[in-house]
Amino acid sequence: MDELELLKKDWKNTETKFESYSDSEIYPMMHKKSSSIVKTLFYISIGELVFWILASILPYLLSSTFREKLDKSYENPLFLGLSIFSYAVILLFIYLLFKSYKSISTTDSAKRLMESILRTRKVIKYYVLFNLSMIFLSIPLSFYFEYQENPEFHKVITEATTTQMLFVYGIIILVGAVFLIIIWLFYRLIYGILLKRLNRNYDELKKLEV
Amino acid sequence: MNKELEHSFVEQLQKHQNIIHKVCRLYTNNADAHNDLFQEITIQLWRAYPKFRGDSKFSTWMYRVGLNTAITLYRKSKRRVNTQEFDSVEFKIKAEEYDDTEEQQLKLLYKAVHQLNDIEKALVFLYLEDKDYREISTTLGITEVNARVKMNRVKKKLKTILNP
Repeated sequence: MDELELLKKDWKNTETKFESYSDSEIYPMMHKKSSSIVKTLFYISIGELVFWILASILPYLLSSTFREKLDKSYENPLFLGLSIFSYAVILLFIYLLFKSYKSISTTDSAKRLMESILRTRKVIKYYVLFNLSMIFLSIPLSFYFEYQENPEFHKVITEATTTQMLFVYGIIILVGAVFLIIIWLFYRLIYGILLKRLNRNYDELKKLEV
Repeated sequence: MNKELEHSFVEQLQKHQNIIHKVCRLYTNNADAHNDLFQEITIQLWRAYPKFRGDSKFSTWMYRVGLNTAITLYRKSKRRVNTQEFDSVEFKIKAEEYDDTEEQQLKLLYKAVHQLNDIEKALVFLYLEDKDYREISTTLGITEVNARVKMNRVKKKLKTILNP
């Protein structure tokens, strides 16, 4: 006899063995907090949004010299344009995140559900990538800005030897690279742990299509 | 309105709760994890309930949300991983003293099913629940042909686990 047929025969009888919950037990259960990965993903994305927004406005609020410098730099149309652009992108991301969370539905097929969760994770990933590239863009940009506006800095740079300049560039690249690796590892860790099982199951379903 | 919705939900869930129990039976190994998963499925069902329009049966809808929660949304606790390891050790010992009585065979079968991966378990579950390949394929989001192919592989895999 087929193994599964034997199992099926027994399966029908298992129903009586379960402890049956009463109405009054189900009520509190349905209002308990969920511990699903979608919820965790949601908290992480909110955390990231808040982190990057704080990272951009806290220096402005806390340091008056920074504020003065920033106010002055807004006179530069390039800088002003970039700032407006980055705030527009934040709004766009909030919208995209909201939309992709709305599209996660437990009544979809398993594969579609997994796809919408992975899509949401991608939105967060792009948001982080955007922030990282803005930081990298701002390093040479502030360098250039300082060179144009600050006479002392201008003098130091023009008088520096090629070796000294190479050294400065080297340091900038090194710091940037270390920063990037740390953030990258951090993300691998968070999403790696959180989505390991989902990715495995998604691959299992995808594998069938080949 | 909300109270009414709650009431009709609880009434139907209470009636069909065995579906959730059976999902938990396949995806968990101990009572704690069983109750934990049961609760998470209940939460997810209640959340999705406003969107349930009744164009399918409540029970059919429960299969989908229940399996989705077990396969995709639910996060395993550390405790569960440990019990799983324990189970497979126990399985190896038992397999050596394999005997043909039906009860013993069933015990081994359940253990073998527990060794399958999440997707394979879902196929077995729907098969045991007498679902046809059309429903299996729409629940998982794969084609009917692929559902058949996969089911045959699962059967083979179970055979190899039972008769190594």
